[in-house]
Amino acid sequence: MHETDPATAGPVVAGPAAAGPAERAPGFRSRRAGLALLGGLGLLALAAPRLASEDPLLDLRLGSSHLVVPAPVPWSERRVRLDESLSPPSSRHLCGTDVLGRDVLARLLHGTRASLAIGFGATLAALLLGLLLGGTAALRPGPVDLALGRVIEILGCFPPLLLALSLVAAAGQRGLLPILVGIAAGRTAAAARFVRAETLRLQAAPFWLAARASGAGPWQAAWRHLLPLLETPLLVQASFGIAQAVLLESALGFLGLGVEPPNPSWGQMIGDGRGVAAVAWWTVAYPAGALALTLTLLLRKVDSRVW
Amino acid sequence: MTGFVARRVLLAGPTLLGISLVAFLVLSVLPGDPIAARIDAGAPLSADAEARLRSELRLDRPVLVRYAAWLQAAAQGDLGHSLHDGRPVAGILREAAPWTLLLNLAALGAIYGVALPLGLLQARRPRSTWARLSEGGLILASVIPSFIAALLLQGLFALRLEWLPLAGTGEAGQGLAGPAGLLPHLVLPALCLALAGWGFATRYARGAFAEALPAASLAAARARGLRGPGLLKHFGLLLALPLVWLLGGIVPSLLSGSVIVEEAFDWPGLGRLMVHAVLGRDTPLAMALLLLSAAAVLAAQLLIDLLYPALDPRLRGTGAEAAHARD
Repeated sequence: MHETDPATAGPVVAGPAAAGPAERAPGFRSRRAGLALLGGLGLLALAAPRLASEDPLLDLRLGSSHLVVPAPVPWSERRVRLDESLSPPSSRHLCGTDVLGRDVLARLLHGTRASLAIGFGATLAALLLGLLLGGTAALRPGPVDLALGRVIEILGCFPPLLLALSLVAAAGQRGLLPILVGIAAGRTAAAARFVRAETLRLQAAPFWLAARASGAGPWQAAWRHLLPLLETPLLVQASFGIAQAVLLESALGFLGLGVEPPNPSWGQMIGDGRGVAAVAWWTVAYPAGALALTLTLLLRKVDSRVW
Repeated sequence: MTGFVARRVLLAGPTLLGISLVAFLVLSVLPGDPIAARIDAGAPLSADAEARLRSELRLDRPVLVRYAAWLQAAAQGDLGHSLHDGRPVAGILREAAPWTLLLNLAALGAIYGVALPLGLLQARRPRSTWARLSEGGLILASVIPSFIAALLLQGLFALRLEWLPLAGTGEAGQGLAGPAGLLPHLVLPALCLALAGWGFATRYARGAFAEALPAASLAAARARGLRGPGLLKHFGLLLALPLVWLLGGIVPSLLSGSVIVEEAFDWPGLGRLMVHAVLGRDTPLAMALLLLSAAAVLAAQLLIDLLYPALDPRLRGTGAEAAHARD
């Protein structure tokens, strides 16, 4: 009930019916396009060190042959050039430079890595842990359920940003790990609550009785017959989780507590550019645009309730 | 029903204890060292002074002993002293809490004030131009992170148009004096905080209305000629119930959001305090803030769980089990 997700909260419940072919037809192509764009972002993140480095040439190795092309961004994300501070977008720097003369496009590409790594990493961890906690609680009623229920409730009570901030403060150093753990904790509670409720609900279904009557143990029945049913709503929930994680990471970056500088992240770029945004819009506009685009793609996935 | 209420209240105790344990462990067991942070801050200590400080902060004792001592003190309202200026943490919190409460209540009002009419509009005429326009606008509002929204709002309303103050609380900064003078300062931060919640709340309200509106009882009342206020009198509760649940989703995100918004607008509340505590490695203050925020979420959820059966007659009879399955 304490769901914060549009994916699972509210009277409109995502179910297998929503993914039926009849409902899938309109706008299906745009959904595919959205998924392709998200995949493209992931590829950009993976390729960032090669796309944007000091090396003016990009060596595409195809088997044993080499194809050398001009690098799309011949700047690395941390190359400081004070004489080029705050230069506007031009053919030399496609998205301009920041206060320290670093190429905004190169930092944007490298920033994708931090944002997506935290988004996907935290969500994956939360999903696995949530399945384990929620599933165990539902399949072992009594004291185990009661105890795990408390654990889930405790995890869910901490506002994710405050928990992440505390972890950063406690660890005494920035880095991906405290941010990842802080964000994952809140998502774990949401996933576990959903898995527990759904498992309890579906245990009343005839297929559950049939499976148990034919000799399947509770775990086996859950694995074979329950998990496939939970797959779609969990994936929808995951895309909401990724969006939230990306947003939180950027908020931490904005507060100056994100990934360790000079490693870039989108939020950090926005936080750095805040003071000069009035004279150099490009320092803030591009990372903000990248963030908004990613979030739109993810939230559209949530709204469509299919993957 | 009483069984369910008693169970919820009784279970809140262990949960609160667990919350305090997590808050304590997160900020005391992990490798950061508050003493080292103090020395970094430019106050060199002799070995003797350091040892004295360590025993003063009980850093030389086992973790569980420290937890027990902290818990005992916290139960009596003593949350320790700020490492930054040595003031009692409880006093600092008491000073900042009204500001955060004011900001969050204003934002909550703005969220419900927009989400309810828009949700109703979208549920009644989902294909109308207005419904589509508002939907698009809300998607836009929910993908703009609040710190960017803060920049845009400040740029437009404070710098360009000069309608509203840029940040801070103006002359009223010395206390909550002069509500009229404070109001202009409240508008932008509250708007910024509400912005992130609008999309979620409206989507939720639309779903709730879409489910409640086609109800046979409602159609029957309409067919008998019941309109406007009369309809609201009989069915207002039915429509309002899901919005009580909605509160449970909004409170944690509001608390997270006010960290950003208070920092961006220099609002002297708990959120900005948290940022300063983290940046200044002020462990007792951060611990108290983490505990307080989690306890606030727990209290909100408890309130909802108690309010819901009180408002919904359908849950009073056999409904306890149904409510159980949802918790």
